[in-house]
Amino acid sequence: MKKLIVKLLGNEKRQSMTIPIFAILVSLVAGAVVLGLLGKNPLSAYMNLLQGSGLWPKASYAGGKNMLTDFTSFLNALTPMLFASLAVAVALKGGLFNIGISGQMLCAGFVTTVVIGYSGLSSGIAKPLVLLLGIVTGALVGGLVGWLKFKFNINEVVSTIMINYIAQYVISFCINTFYVNPVSRQSNPVSKAARLTLMETQVGDLKMDIPLGIILAVIAAFIIRFLFNKTKLGYEIKTVGSSITAARYAGISVGRNMVLTMVISGALAGLAGVTYYLGYFGSIQPKVLPSTGFDAIAVSLLGNSNPIGIIFSSFLITIISKGSTYMSSAAGVEAEIASVITGLILLFSACSAYIAYKVKRAKSSLEEEKILQEKEKTNDRADSGKGAE
Amino acid sequence: MDNIIIDGLSFALPLFIMAIGGIYSEKSGITNLALEGLQGFGAFTGALVAVLTASWFSGGSQIPFYLAILFAVLGGALYSLLHALLCIKFKANQVISGVVINILATALTAFLTKQINSAVFGSPSDKFVLGVSNRITVPGLSQIPVLGAVFTNIYPFEIIIVVVAFIAWYVLYKTRFGLHLRACGDNPHAVDAAGIDVSRVRFIAVMVSGALSGIAGISFAYSISANFSGNIYVGYGYLSIAALIFGNWTILPTLGACLLFGFAKSGGYEIVKMLKMPSSYSDLVMILPYVLTLLLLIFFSKHNKSPRALGEIYDKGKR
Repeated sequence: MKKLIVKLLGNEKRQSMTIPIFAILVSLVAGAVVLGLLGKNPLSAYMNLLQGSGLWPKASYAGGKNMLTDFTSFLNALTPMLFASLAVAVALKGGLFNIGISGQMLCAGFVTTVVIGYSGLSSGIAKPLVLLLGIVTGALVGGLVGWLKFKFNINEVVSTIMINYIAQYVISFCINTFYVNPVSRQSNPVSKAARLTLMETQVGDLKMDIPLGIILAVIAAFIIRFLFNKTKLGYEIKTVGSSITAARYAGISVGRNMVLTMVISGALAGLAGVTYYLGYFGSIQPKVLPSTGFDAIAVSLLGNSNPIGIIFSSFLITIISKGSTYMSSAAGVEAEIASVITGLILLFSACSAYIAYKVKRAKSSLEEEKILQEKEKTNDRADSGKGAE
Repeated sequence: MDNIIIDGLSFALPLFIMAIGGIYSEKSGITNLALEGLQGFGAFTGALVAVLTASWFSGGSQIPFYLAILFAVLGGALYSLLHALLCIKFKANQVISGVVINILATALTAFLTKQINSAVFGSPSDKFVLGVSNRITVPGLSQIPVLGAVFTNIYPFEIIIVVVAFIAWYVLYKTRFGLHLRACGDNPHAVDAAGIDVSRVRFIAVMVSGALSGIAGISFAYSISANFSGNIYVGYGYLSIAALIFGNWTILPTLGACLLFGFAKSGGYEIVKMLKMPSSYSDLVMILPYVLTLLLLIFFSKHNKSPRALGEIYDKGKR
């Protein structure tokens, strides 16, 4: 057992991959036990998750739908999650904890909805403007947080929470007073031209939702990777994140980098906001903060705050959340079990440092045993040698 | 005016007791963003016991209410063990652990509420209906002008909270254990050198925060929402964290911050009612406590100092 674990997880270079995978497997097994206790077949329930996300064929489809349409609507849900998780990761690298992604998403979504979503601009102008305005709004809100921290020493956790509430209430007031749709009790839907997802588009005989943002989100992940691995700015942000004193000694401007970190993080949150409100949904529900902003913290953690890791982790978490609706109807399990499994995955991956430490201990104890055994062997040989003399 | 004080207190006090829990945990050196999840889980266990036992007692009985508080404390403390284990034993990043605990609490309580409702009561409801607890008016004292409102229409949990808060204050500042706890957050190595088990003190501190958050959670469930459901997670935990940071990790200023939140909130509602504005305007006044906090922080944050070893994993070998 010990040997097996050391063999699987012992390679330190690969641990950033193997340990999250280990955490996922353990949680899936734990989830399977719960499903089993409820009298459901865990394998078929997990299959339902994949089917709901368009990664495995369902038994039957409604007209104009098939696995591909399920998959594109899965990508539609994935896009904001990916952006939001990148936003968390950038802040974490800079040593800041951006718990206000939700508020930044909401601000960006609301401003773009009002300015461009209701403007009647043509598609070619509206879509880029939506992105641009989303980035600017998010960056401004994020930058404000960074500035408050640097200028007035206001803990970013507190200021982002306050801004979350302020945004939530002010925007809810504006929607209920000026833009409410009396039937849906949400904001009026944005114009089709401004939507970042082409909803119900006829492709051949299929009707699919095509999320344009997903390409951008993947590109953004690679840009962030480039930023941190290859540029001076990325290096400085990381230095400030690891040690403010060290950064000061090295002559790095701490305040400037703090603000910049939050500007980038906010801009990504803004993109998450526009792909959520003008892509995935098309309207804003008053008085509700998107839970994506909080889940993203966990997704980012699961991906080790590594942009490429985050592509995978957000993919996985979105499978579980998006597929849960279908699982609940197909297998008759409460959809909430999916979020419990997600929670477990996060719980185990939060212990990754401990797992790595344990594996290291097991590895060295195995090595010691080996050395002891070899010593005994040589001793034996020496003894037998003596006997022959 | 009376309403502002009555409603303000009934919101501020649960917030305050949760913030004291947060102070315990953070003063011992463990960052606690998990308050939100702890109060929710505490409210869940409390509400569960209340609905399960409701049939044992007559309709007007208050016993389920007190049982609920007791079990909310136990549930909160038990669930906080998870945070303590992750942060102390498994050396996880404390901020991340807190967020994960919150996510798991939301998921777990939603799942269990539905499962239990359909298994025990045969209806797949996503909430436990509790109703609002009865209220007490102290005769005599409530007749004092203005201040009398403090003694009018109080929820029983408010009295419990005041008593518990006083004990918590005494333990933290006047006892040997409290001294150890505060030292753990500033210089754990010194505490260790004095022969005190740092991990043990921190474990207890986190569990206290869980227990106190449990009281807060069940209080919200019995007053504002009148039930237990996913709506319990509206961010009061985060608000109390803001209060304790604002209060500079000390109990009395934190009480001030909580009262500010409470009165700004109830005052806002009264203004909307007085000026006969449409109800959507209440959203606009609801931002008062948060804007006030931000503004005040701009003036006071310069002197804010968190416990020195806050958020650091205690490593014996580092000394």
